Amino acid sequence: MKITVKCFSHIKYALGKNKIIINLEAGADTADLEQEIRGLAEGKLDGIKFVTALNQHYIKIPVELQEGDEVAFIPPVQGG
Amino acid sequence: MIITAQELQKWINTGESFQALDMRPEDLRLQFPLRGLDAKSATVPNLKKRSKHRTVLICQFGLVTEGLIIENELKNTVSLLGGVEAWDEYRRTKDDYSRYARQTALPELGIKGQRKINGASIAIVGLGGLGAAAAQILAAAGIGKLYLIDGDKVEISNIHRQPLYSEEDVNKNKTAAAAENLKRINSGVTLECINEYLTEKNGELYLKSADVIIDATDNISSRRILDKISQKLVIPLVYGGLFRFEGQVAVLNHKGAPGYRDIFPSAGEVENSRMESGEAENCRDGGILGMLPGIIGNIQALEALKIITGITPDLSGKILIYDGLTHATEIIEIMK
Repeated sequence: MKITVKCFSHIKYALGKNKIIINLEAGADTADLEQEIRGLAEGKLDGIKFVTALNQHYIKIPVELQEGDEVAFIPPVQGG
Repeated sequence: MIITAQELQKWINTGESFQALDMRPEDLRLQFPLRGLDAKSATVPNLKKRSKHRTVLICQFGLVTEGLIIENELKNTVSLLGGVEAWDEYRRTKDDYSRYARQTALPELGIKGQRKINGASIAIVGLGGLGAAAAQILAAAGIGKLYLIDGDKVEISNIHRQPLYSEEDVNKNKTAAAAENLKRINSGVTLECINEYLTEKNGELYLKSADVIIDATDNISSRRILDKISQKLVIPLVYGGLFRFEGQVAVLNHKGAPGYRDIFPSAGEVENSRMESGEAENCRDGGILGMLPGIIGNIQALEALKIITGITPDLSGKILIYDGLTHATEIIEIMK
């Protein structure tokens, strides 16, 4: 299934894209997707924790994904 | 081309010669009678391009009459700034709100909203890119009181993104320089300068009298302290953060909305681990264009003003993420 990932701040710079489409096996959840993204970043996101939003709603625990879902991983930013 | 309510009252008191023309339609004249001013009702064909008498044109909000003067190239004619709304308020309270005519004309705000703005106090914690932008626009909007909290001094490298300060402010305390420049924008705003960094020890003392707190700090540990104090004192917190071309804004701890720790529960750990590896990034080491804090600081100020005046919807329970490269805006619903 195809999942759209919106990339913000550190993640955008680590992957060099605002948005990417990831193909996952049916039954995969948001935690699997996060692992996939961290793998693609090749260590550039090590030590950075981020929160997850599924279809514009923040989630606290991993949720099973459906074809066409949109996921955003959001790191805290500190600049002011 | 314009005259304020206070200036017009002065004309009346000193016996200046002028004629006042009420340009409003009859229904408005009946609904909102003009008091304390002898004005004839008039329509556009009555207006003379070169009036012999000095003329004051009056409408409900002062917008129509300003337009009439421009369109008809009227000489020796002025428009009452803020119209009947500002005039009535000035007669009742001696508060001259006519300078805010462009914002009081908004039906969501009106004179009632302006009164709330003038009676409110906002604490701005951090007078860098976000805080300077928010302070500037809130002073211009007529906020009653600003608590300006920062222990830093102005550096030349600040000015590209903090145009509240000028070259002559370099090495001055940010709070003092900000206050001096804000007074030039609006002498009616009360400013309290706290030339210290906010800590867990001093935070409650400095924030307890604020109606809203603006988080314009530049590090996560300060954000966590602010969140804690905002929750304890039950004062809404408007969070703003920057990363290169991106900005985040959220209204926290307001009417049951989540706090910073609800959104970023592990934020402190992130900072610590990144600090240890030398990778933590703020505007100093990550780079920033001056427009970004201007945009995000203004959104924070807008949210603070909406909280004060009760204008909805606001960003309670949501986080807005703005991308300055694509101008895409994402709003995510957050929960406790």
